[in-house]
Amino acid sequence: MNYILEGKNINKHYGNFQVLKEINIAIPEGQIFGLLGPNGAGKTTLIRTLTQITAPDSGEILFKGLPLKSFKSSEFGYLPEERGLYRKMKVGEQALYLCQIKGLDKKDAYAKLKPWFEKLEMESWWNKKVEELSKGMQQKLQFAITVAHNPKLLILDEPFSGFDPVNTETIKNHILELKNEGTTIVFSTHNMASVEELCQNITLVNRGENILSGSVSDIRKSFSKSLFQIKFKGSKVAFANALGFQFEIDEIIEQSDHTSALVLAHQGAGSKELLSSLIQHVEVISFNEKLPSMNDIFIDLVGRSQSDSIKQ
Amino acid sequence: MSANKIGLIIRREYFTRVRKKSFIIMSLLGPLIMAGVLTFAMWTSIEESDDQKILVIDDNYPFFEKLDGSDKLSYSIMDISLPKGEALLEVSDYTALLYLPENILQSKSGQLIFKKQPSIKVQRQIEETVQQYLEISKLKEFDITEGDYNRLKAPFNLLTFQFKGAGAEAEETNMLPAIVGLVFGILIYFFIFMYSVQVMRGVIEEKTNRIIEVMISSVKPFQLMMGKIIGVGAVGLTQFALWILLTLVLALGGQFLVLGDKYDAAQVKTPMTDMVQQQVDQEQSLNLTRLSQKDNLFNKIRRINFPVMIAVFIFYFLGGYLLYSALMAAVGSAVDNDTDTQQFIFPITFPLLLAYILSFNVFENPSSDMAIWLSIIPLTSPVIMMIRVAIGIESADMWQVYLSMALLVGSFIGAVWMSGKIYRVGILMYGKKPSLKEIFKWLKY
Repeated sequence: MNYILEGKNINKHYGNFQVLKEINIAIPEGQIFGLLGPNGAGKTTLIRTLTQITAPDSGEILFKGLPLKSFKSSEFGYLPEERGLYRKMKVGEQALYLCQIKGLDKKDAYAKLKPWFEKLEMESWWNKKVEELSKGMQQKLQFAITVAHNPKLLILDEPFSGFDPVNTETIKNHILELKNEGTTIVFSTHNMASVEELCQNITLVNRGENILSGSVSDIRKSFSKSLFQIKFKGSKVAFANALGFQFEIDEIIEQSDHTSALVLAHQGAGSKELLSSLIQHVEVISFNEKLPSMNDIFIDLVGRSQSDSIKQ
Repeated sequence: MSANKIGLIIRREYFTRVRKKSFIIMSLLGPLIMAGVLTFAMWTSIEESDDQKILVIDDNYPFFEKLDGSDKLSYSIMDISLPKGEALLEVSDYTALLYLPENILQSKSGQLIFKKQPSIKVQRQIEETVQQYLEISKLKEFDITEGDYNRLKAPFNLLTFQFKGAGAEAEETNMLPAIVGLVFGILIYFFIFMYSVQVMRGVIEEKTNRIIEVMISSVKPFQLMMGKIIGVGAVGLTQFALWILLTLVLALGGQFLVLGDKYDAAQVKTPMTDMVQQQVDQEQSLNLTRLSQKDNLFNKIRRINFPVMIAVFIFYFLGGYLLYSALMAAVGSAVDNDTDTQQFIFPITFPLLLAYILSFNVFENPSSDMAIWLSIIPLTSPVIMMIRVAIGIESADMWQVYLSMALLVGSFIGAVWMSGKIYRVGILMYGKKPSLKEIFKWLKY
């Protein structure tokens, strides 16, 4: 796999407090990559070191396999979680200024901003002052400004905050479109549903450490508790008899025309045994393995470490 | 590329401020006030252009037999009552009524009722005339003859000259350069204070707006800080240039209006317009003043070397501004809002405030040890050296100017370097207000 950005053994202290501990992170090119972690885990600091806003105490950052030495702001588009605009400036003036700061000349900046203003239906805002815009409108403008200069790597920290569901959907579609055009996107959020929906790979950071990395599907499988979701028609007694000693009912709900059950497999037992035994006793309508959601995994890992620290 | 980015930042900082209403109002108001003061000074310094014909009512008639007037000022003494006098004033061409009451020797006061306010100079002249008349009339009481009285009077005039070495012609000094120096010194104080606080406000604004993080993902913090400092400084210089320009226009206009027919156009245009002409005039007026004492305000103003003053002003404004604004940028970066700045602003601006307060002492005694030290120490030198330069510095003491300038340049480079380090960390810190100790720790991050 080609990595667009890699951080190797990154350490960062603020005074006596170690914010990042020997962090390794690799962001594959052309994907949407999830950077997850609870509040205060060091995500923002990690992003800042990766984008060279702050220098790490030690460690190495590689951009397309080469050490990142000079400041490459034109290659990055960064939408920070805490973001703002100059309130007294006009929308158009501000958009041009922020694009020019990225290295575009004025003409080029205008040419690249214009389609985004059209796509996001913001053309009529051009001569308005920023302070006249609502929060959601400002967020939209910030998104447009971040992506307008066609960065190779886009870092979006909570990009959906402040948006209504309609605008969230619009922005989500634009993010997917950008990915299809070849942009690598680092996506930092607490919204685990959107991680499952958008990201191929993730890294989970907790207390300055990388505690989990990999593809979303692999991670979900590895955290599987062998839980099966089964819908069937037939008697509950027959169903229970079919399970034998290897399986256990976790939950069973009778519905109008069928019954749905959650079945936990004991060690060693798999879906094959369960299904072949069930078919003989009841009419199976649907059968699938229930993988844990990213939300469950997140709460499991982060919550466990938090209760550990309380015990200590 | 990076120079380009600083340029963009400077342009934004400059144009957003110059376009503000407050800037335009300040640019117009400043010169209006200055020109007003100048015009007033000129107006009071010249003679009344209108002839004054004064009706005098003497309740002790004929106590005042005759009051000496001049070609512009004449008195007619009458033995009528005040109401009648007022009636006469109304129908006649008298310009004012001077009422000298019966108890004038005790009360020592009279009244002047005018149709159109006479100048302070005319008032002074009337005062002196009446006073002299009263004095002479009192001589009889003490049995002194008028001749003895005139011999008793010993008018004394102190003319001061700067020693230029034996044989060389000494230069007459006057207070005016010192006053102009004080004005420039105070102007420097206000400019440094006003614009360095603007830098701090700008930094806080970027921080509270949270645009800072967007900005520093595109430019280095140092570039952002320097861009702001330079941009705001340019606004200060623009304001200063506008003030000088508008003051000139207004002062010349005012001068023309006030003087009108009294001075010819060639003389009206002289102050500051033409440097070479000014030099020639300066020497001429210098010689004139040594011969006669008719040294009026115009000649005095013309003798001040404005090009040098303006050059020195620009140097010390820029130096002082860079020093203070860098420190203020660091303060702005360390706090989240204006109210938290107080504890840091005071210790930083204290030397500047001290210089401002002590500038009046320096004005009175420009070559004291205190004045010399304050004009060398970088935190106070911009204000104090400005005054000293205006008063005049001996060539033997020129090393003080060079040392002061070198120290100022050195310290603003140091301040910019240090503030850059604090700024870099401070702008990303939110939440609790840091202590000075913590801020110093940031230097090492």
